[in-house]
Amino acid sequence: MPPDAEEPTPATRGVHDLGGASGWGRIPYEADEPPFHADWERRVFGLLGPVTSATTRRPGEFRYALERLHPDDYFDNGYFGRWLAGFEVLLAEYEVFGPVDYSARLEARTGPIPSEVRRMSPELRVAPVADRVPSMLPPDRPVPVPQRRTVRRDLAEPPRFGTGDRVVAPTPTQPGHTRLPGYVMDKPGTVAKLHPAEVLPDSTAHNRGERPQHVYCVGYDARTLWGDDAEPNATVYVDLYECYLTAAESD
Amino acid sequence: MHDDHGHGHGHHHDHHDASSPEVRVEALEDLLVERGLADRERIDATTQRFEHDIGPMIGARLVAEAWADAGLRRRLLTDADAVVADMDIRGAEIEHIEVKANEPGVHNVVVCTLCSCYPWALLGLPPNWYKSPEYRARVVREPRRVLAEMGLELDAETEVRVWDSSSETRFLVLPERPAGTEGWPTERLAELVTRDSMIGVARVTDPGGQ
Repeated sequence: MPPDAEEPTPATRGVHDLGGASGWGRIPYEADEPPFHADWERRVFGLLGPVTSATTRRPGEFRYALERLHPDDYFDNGYFGRWLAGFEVLLAEYEVFGPVDYSARLEARTGPIPSEVRRMSPELRVAPVADRVPSMLPPDRPVPVPQRRTVRRDLAEPPRFGTGDRVVAPTPTQPGHTRLPGYVMDKPGTVAKLHPAEVLPDSTAHNRGERPQHVYCVGYDARTLWGDDAEPNATVYVDLYECYLTAAESD
Repeated sequence: MHDDHGHGHGHHHDHHDASSPEVRVEALEDLLVERGLADRERIDATTQRFEHDIGPMIGARLVAEAWADAGLRRRLLTDADAVVADMDIRGAEIEHIEVKANEPGVHNVVVCTLCSCYPWALLGLPPNWYKSPEYRARVVREPRRVLAEMGLELDAETEVRVWDSSSETRFLVLPERPAGTEGWPTERLAELVTRDSMIGVARVTDPGGQ
């Protein structure tokens, strides 16, 4: 379970948006960890391909299913527990099979189950994707899609910003999936490098088209992000899609 | 939510309730297999590849080659995608790779605060601590404290660069080559390179056992 937040966070930050969140304790470090700690984790990992094939392979859509989970489902069983809950969300939303089928299978293993633990049912504790439609996406600019499956796209338009430019990503006013971490919102940073252009996950996660964007590696001085709490001599680099950014006023 | 439950249903799964991941993944897998949407042999093959064939030894080979060859090191730091393609490394989560070199005065460390993104085809699946909320929350705010907690002390003059994998770019840290390894063949160098050193939470230790 997440600790109680000690400070207000912007309304747009979801359960997954953890960067800089206070109250978390020691890193649960274990030397030379294996990829799986239990057989059920192995089975969940193996189902990633089948579940996404049966539902969606659009970039960001599985992640957005995870981001809409109730905090208990996000945290309680770790990374693969989160995936499992995300599979349940996608399989229900894509109606691959129904809650009756699924409950029957669970009950065949456990005996009658109370409705509060029933999965893929109306009680499934997940924010419906249909209620969270991004309304302020950048205009689409279709470009040739490469033959190889990749999110990279070649954009004809030149990038708006260059290395060394000061930029800021304002707090979004729309709901939906985004790759903009809350801890850099409204903070000025400096473009360190351009990455290859990519489709925009904020759009593809909602089946709203590719809307490819230039992607910038933006460096933030730790003092800008954390103020007096900042450790000395540290920079955090975050990769941001062009539509997130505006020119920062010079300081 | 994890209710007590009676035993003795005469069923081997009855030590789990219906909210347990063990029961849920079995039910999902059965339903998908019955509908022809999943194949148990392919599921096993996929997981076995990530348990045996895809792991930190792939990234370690890249690091060792870069230690041994200054020209390759330069290419790795400026165009890692080309080096990865030349070495015929393929697979998931390496759409675009950036390699960041640790050197005297600069230390790099990688995180994904929003998810748990990681260069699977170079390092295998990430360890739990990398995916933990503790690491994701803290390493961007207090990287020195986190690294010290994990056994890596940095002096105040060393600049810390934290790379948050928020787009599809994936990062690999090129650790510093330890002294006392001059003339070693790349196979032997690669054996020194740990997963933790390529995430940036450890140094590669001297072969003298320091």
